Amino acid sequence: MNVDDESSNRTRTGNLAVHLDGITKRFPGVIANDDVDFEVESGTIHALIGENGAGKTTLMNVLYGLYEPTEGSVWIHGERREFDGPRDAMEAGIGMIHQHFMLVDTMTVAENVVLGDEPTKWGGLATDRKKAIEETKALAKQYGFDLDPTKRIQDISVGEQQRVEILKTLYRGSDILILDEPTAVLTPQEVDGLFGILEELIAEGKTIIFITHKLSEALHAADDISVLRDGELVDTVSAENASREDLARMMVGRDVLLEVDKPDVERGNPILEVEEVTVEDERGVTVVDGVDFSVHEGEVIGIAGVDGNGQSELVETITGLQTPSDGSITFDGTEITDVSRADRIGMGMAYIAEDRQKRSLVMEYELRRNGILGCQRLPEFSNGWRIDWESAEDYVDDVIDEYDVRPPDPSAEAHSLSGGNQQKFIVGREFERDPSLVIASQPTRGVDIGSIEFIHDRLLDLRADGKGVLLVSSKLEEVRRLSDRIAVMYDGDIVGIVDPADVTEEELGLLMAGERPTGMDVDSARVRRRESA
Amino acid sequence: MALGAVFVGLFIFALWTVGLVGSSSISSALRLTVPIGFAAMGGIFAEKAGVINIGLEGLLIIGAFGAIASLYALSVTPIGASIWLAFAFAVVASTVVALLFAIVCIEFKADQIIAGLAVWLIALGFAPFASYIIWDQTNSPSVGSFSAWAIPGLSDLPVIGGLFVATPPVILLIIAVPVSWYLLNRTTFGMWIEASGEDPKSLDTAGVDVRKVRYAGVLLSGVYCGIGGAGMALTVGQFVGSGDTMMDGRGFIGLTAYLIGNYNPIAAFFASFLFAGLEALQIQVQQIAGFDVSSRLIGIIPYVTVLVVLAFVGKTQMPSSAGDHYESDD
Repeated sequence: MNVDDESSNRTRTGNLAVHLDGITKRFPGVIANDDVDFEVESGTIHALIGENGAGKTTLMNVLYGLYEPTEGSVWIHGERREFDGPRDAMEAGIGMIHQHFMLVDTMTVAENVVLGDEPTKWGGLATDRKKAIEETKALAKQYGFDLDPTKRIQDISVGEQQRVEILKTLYRGSDILILDEPTAVLTPQEVDGLFGILEELIAEGKTIIFITHKLSEALHAADDISVLRDGELVDTVSAENASREDLARMMVGRDVLLEVDKPDVERGNPILEVEEVTVEDERGVTVVDGVDFSVHEGEVIGIAGVDGNGQSELVETITGLQTPSDGSITFDGTEITDVSRADRIGMGMAYIAEDRQKRSLVMEYELRRNGILGCQRLPEFSNGWRIDWESAEDYVDDVIDEYDVRPPDPSAEAHSLSGGNQQKFIVGREFERDPSLVIASQPTRGVDIGSIEFIHDRLLDLRADGKGVLLVSSKLEEVRRLSDRIAVMYDGDIVGIVDPADVTEEELGLLMAGERPTGMDVDSARVRRRESA
Repeated sequence: MALGAVFVGLFIFALWTVGLVGSSSISSALRLTVPIGFAAMGGIFAEKAGVINIGLEGLLIIGAFGAIASLYALSVTPIGASIWLAFAFAVVASTVVALLFAIVCIEFKADQIIAGLAVWLIALGFAPFASYIIWDQTNSPSVGSFSAWAIPGLSDLPVIGGLFVATPPVILLIIAVPVSWYLLNRTTFGMWIEASGEDPKSLDTAGVDVRKVRYAGVLLSGVYCGIGGAGMALTVGQFVGSGDTMMDGRGFIGLTAYLIGNYNPIAAFFASFLFAGLEALQIQVQQIAGFDVSSRLIGIIPYVTVLVVLAFVGKTQMPSSAGDHYESDD
C-alpha cells in the first residue's frame, strides 16, 4: 500500500504524519474501535472529539503502541510501523501527554524531563545534572515556555506541569504530539496559554493531535476535527467549515439542545444563608474574606470566578469540611456553623464535590457501597448499628437506572467506570435522596456533552421542585445558562452578585479579574475592596 | 537530618563530660552500629524503590547465621577458615532470601508487610534450628572473628587515635554511608529508584522497567543486610540463636533509624549510631557496681528513646507509592 495514493485525494497539500488504516480494536466483549481510518496532515493541529467511551483514547493508545490493533495498520510519515510498546512509538517520533500527568512530584522539572534518558558523566557514574538543567532550559526557551528547571513538580502549577510533560516529549525528539484531554485540568487562562504553545509547536514543524470533548476548543484551536462515536469514525471535517451544532450532532448521534430551557420558578424562602463567613487556610492566610449571600428555594445561585479565588474553601465550609474562623451559616432556619458534616447530610444537604475521585468516591469500593457513602447513618440505610444492604442495593439500582450509569453493575468498582459515568453516579446518588439544598461544585468537569445536558436538566428539575442549588463552576457559560443570580468571587470575596440576563461575558470577566465594569452601579456590583480603597 | 546530628552530638558531648564516653566506647558503639546502619541503608533502597521491606531483621539473621555456618564449614574443608569467604557467602545467602522476597512481592503481588514478616519469622525459626542441627545447640561455638585494623598514621594520634582502630565491618559501614548517599542522589540509578517509589507509572512511560528497578532495590537491601548481619556475627565470632537471636530486633531498629533519617543514608547512619550508642550506654550502666536497677529496665532505654525521638522528629515523607504493587499496562 502506498501512502501517496491516500493523500492524493485530499484537498490540501501536505504529507500525512499519521495514517491509521482500518483500525479495529476488540477487547473481550467490546469493540472499542471499529474499522477507523484516521489521517493527520503533517504540521497541523488535529482534534479528535467524541463522547466518553467513544474510543478516542483507545485509538490514541493504538497509535502510541500501548495497544496492538486487532486489525489494521499504523503508518507514520508514509512508513508502515508496528509498535511493541510506547518505546517503539517514541522512537518513531510520537509523544503522548497523558491526561493524568506522568511526573514524579518530588523530583525537579529538569529531572522529570530527562528521566529514562538521562545525560551522564564520568562514564555513567553520575547524572549530569548541569547538562539536564541546561538542556531543559534551552528547550523551554526554544518553545517560549516560562519554566524554572530546578523547581520541584509539587511546587509548580498544573499548567506548568503540563508544559513539563510537553517538554518531556520534545526532549525525546517527538514530532507528533498526542495530548489526551489537555484542557480538562486547566484554568481558562492556562487553556489560552496552552493553545499559544500549540501554535508555537506547529510553527516549529510539529504535528499535534488532541483529544477533547469540548467543541469550542476543537473549533478554536484545531485545523481539522475528527469525530468518533461508538468506536467508529463519523467524519473528519475542517474546523473552518464546521459548526458547534454539526459537531454535537455527529458526536451524540442526535440533536443536542445547547441552550437550556429555563422555566420560571417562584422563588421561595431562603434555604441557605451565609453571613460574614471568613475562612483561613492552614497557614493562617485568609482565603474567604467575609462572604455574604443566600440561596432561596427554587433558585440556582452560580458562583463564578477564576479557580483558586476561595470558591473551594467556601464550598467546603458550607458543606462542613472546613471550619470558618468567623461568620455564621444558616441552613433551613437552623444555624449550622458548628454542626458536623454528618448532621448536615442528615438535614438534607447534598454535595457534588469538585474532585470526585478524592472527595466523592472510594475508588476501590463497589458502586453499591459508594452509593450510600455519606448516608450510611441515615435511617433509610441503617438501623443504628448495621447497614441495611437490601435498601442500599435498591437505592443504587435506582440511581444506576435513572442516571444511565454504565456499566449498569452495582458490583463494579468505582475506578472501572469512566470519568463521565462516575460523575453521573455521584449526581444520581446525591439527587435521589431528595435533598433540600444541592451544592454542586464543577458538576460537569470532564463529562461528555450528552451527560452535561443530562446533569443540567436534573439541576433545573431540582430548582423546579423548589430546592435550592448552589452551583460553582469555572465554566462561565454553564453558570450563565443555569443561574438565577451569579455571585462573582475574587480574592476570597464576592465582588458582585448579578443577574445573568443583565450582564455580558466581558463584564463578568472584568468582575472575575476584580475590576468594576464601567456603568455598573455599586448595588449590582459591590466591589468592596476597591470602593473602600 | 540536622536534628538527628544535633541529637547525637549532644548525646556524645553529655556522656563525654561525665566520663562515660571515651574513644573506646565510641568504637564499641560503632561496632554496634554495623547491623543497625546496614539494615537501615538496605531498607532505604528497597522502600525508595517502592517495596517496604520489614524483613530486614530476618535478612540480618540470615547474614549472621550464614557467616558463622560458612566459616565453620570452611574450616573442615581444604580451603580453610577464610573469614572473608564466609563473609561473602553470608552476603549471597541474605541476597538470595531477599530475591525470594522480591519475587513474592513483585511477581506474585503478595502483601509486602506480610511477606516481610514471613522473612523475619522464617529466619527466626530457621537459624536456631539449623544451628541445633549443626552444633547440637542454638548457639554456635566460637569460630573466629575479624581482627581490628589500625589505620596507619591516624591511629597513632593522641586521645582520638583509638577511633582509627576499627574492625573491617565498621570501616565498610563508614564507606557505605556516603556511597549510598551518592548512589541515591547523584546517579541515574538513584533517580530511577526515587521515581519507582514515588510514581512508578511515570517511570514506566519514560521507558524504564519498573520491575527491574524494584528488584535492584530489594536485592540491595539483601546485600546490605548480609553485610550487616555477617559483620556483627564475625565481629563477635559466634552465632547466638537463643531468644530473638543475636540480632535482637536490630533490623527493626534499623527500620526506625531510616524513618527518623527520612530516607537519607547519612541521617539514617546518625540515627543508627544514636541507638547503638544508647545500647552501649545501657551495657555500661549495667556494669556500674552498686547500681541497683533491674537490668531489664535499663535494657528498654534504647526503645524508649526510639519512641521519644519519633515523637520529636516530626513527619517523615514516605515514598508515595511504597507498598503499592505496580503493573504495567502493556
